[in-house]
Amino acid sequence: MSDYIIETNQLWKSFKGQPALRGLDLRVPAGSIFGFLGRNGAGKTTTIKTLMGLLRADGGTARVFGTSVTDTDGTLEKRAIEVRRRIGFVTEDKELYPYMTVEQIIRFTRPFFPKWRDDLEQRYLKMFELPPKKKIPDLSKGMRSKLMLLLAISRGAELLILDEPTDGLDPAATEDVLRELVAIAASSGTTMFFSSHQLSEVELIADHIGIIEQGKMIVAGSLDDMKAQYQRLQVVFTNSVEMPSRWVGGVEHVRQEGRVVSILASHNVDAIVEQARALPGTAVERFPVTLKEIFLEHVRSN
Amino acid sequence: MLWYTLAYKGWLETRFRLLFSLAFGASYCIAVHSIKVPSGPAFGKPILGAAIMMTIAASVFSIMLSGAGIATQPSFQATKGLHGSTLFTLSLPVSRFRLLAVRASLGWLELAGAIAATCCAMWFLFPPLRATATPEEMIKYAVVLIICGSGLYAIPVLLATFLDDQWRMQGSGIAFGALWWLSNHTPLPTSANIFRAMGEGSPLIAHAMPWTAMAFSLELAAILFFAALKVVQTREY
Repeated sequence: MSDYIIETNQLWKSFKGQPALRGLDLRVPAGSIFGFLGRNGAGKTTTIKTLMGLLRADGGTARVFGTSVTDTDGTLEKRAIEVRRRIGFVTEDKELYPYMTVEQIIRFTRPFFPKWRDDLEQRYLKMFELPPKKKIPDLSKGMRSKLMLLLAISRGAELLILDEPTDGLDPAATEDVLRELVAIAASSGTTMFFSSHQLSEVELIADHIGIIEQGKMIVAGSLDDMKAQYQRLQVVFTNSVEMPSRWVGGVEHVRQEGRVVSILASHNVDAIVEQARALPGTAVERFPVTLKEIFLEHVRSN
Repeated sequence: MLWYTLAYKGWLETRFRLLFSLAFGASYCIAVHSIKVPSGPAFGKPILGAAIMMTIAASVFSIMLSGAGIATQPSFQATKGLHGSTLFTLSLPVSRFRLLAVRASLGWLELAGAIAATCCAMWFLFPPLRATATPEEMIKYAVVLIICGSGLYAIPVLLATFLDDQWRMQGSGIAFGALWWLSNHTPLPTSANIFRAMGEGSPLIAHAMPWTAMAFSLELAAILFFAALKVVQTREY
């Protein structure tokens, strides 16, 4: 069996002739916390729905737990049901049945999952201070997010797919939730695949990152490796700015403000520093970059 | 026990509709009860015909209300577009066949209950009916309404798989009208006409069970249910 819990190769999906996924290659290692990033409309939700077996891919392959979730022989639903039994899922809009109370939705969801964890259910009911008798429409968006997390985590799932899990939560609740997610991943080896627009949160808990843009994976890998590779260089010219006609490989973006030139390097940093130092009258400094800088650089340049 | 869980969800979605349907039937019965009916055999047949028409109308209303697909239906607030929680339902490890089958079965039970209750109430509240029909005929009539109603019921079930909640009732009304027109303007044998079977061909008037129409209705229900199943299995929500 593959070391990846999720693996897609050249995954394609279109809606009314409009491509949403254009050959997506995605690999999520078992036991990782994978931050799936992208702008609105980049294809995150389409990817998630395809992985859940809710959408039929037009081309390519997708496997979750080694099971194909693309329809090749008309048996997708049967395979997808088996896969979904092992997944905890938080939807993007956090909508649940408006006619149910908190305790009713828990009672409704429980029988679908043979590995349902009563202990986790009770723990998060208490921790998230969810009122069992309250109707779902009467809950704030933050409370609904917490309820969805409870429903996802209590399934005893091997994989949590979380679409904007902290959406609507206040900073304190966000921190609680993130801490819990890390604790779950650490204690049970649960793989987490989550999308978020809050890059600082992703940076805090993710160990792997994938950035999707226009249906294609443009950056993927370990966050530590990424941060080690990417650096921002600040080149200060003492006199007039004399840029080289061509930078060596690895320069992603160059920005000039007066006599200060800022360079984002994705690799080959030493060679770039050397080239910058060879320019007349320069002082070069290296700075670590944030995930936000990496993200913005890639989506803008695409 | 997944069917029980899904039926429980369906019940929470539909209980107010059922209540409304029963209230509608009750208001008919009360209206009928308050009518001062002149005695004499000359009035028997038209009065009976009017009672049957009212029972059919109440039944058809129940049928239109009961039909549902697999999308979440917020109780009584007809909505445009899919409710967000439909994605939650679809993400559960359950087949769409089971989702649709449980939902359709529950709706059918509710309409059967509403029709039976309306027939019962008409029987007790409308003396001319008791004067012209036996209890056995009334029971048979309720069975005919439920079976013939099943074919009609499958129409809103099918429509609910691709129409927004707010258009389902109107869509069902138009489809019933079209089916009624087709029943009277196509070379279909009279014995297979399900609208006739609920009225003049019913056990209350014809004093015989309209077996052909009942069989036709069940066949229609099976075909439409199969079509609804194909829609939910292939549709990307």
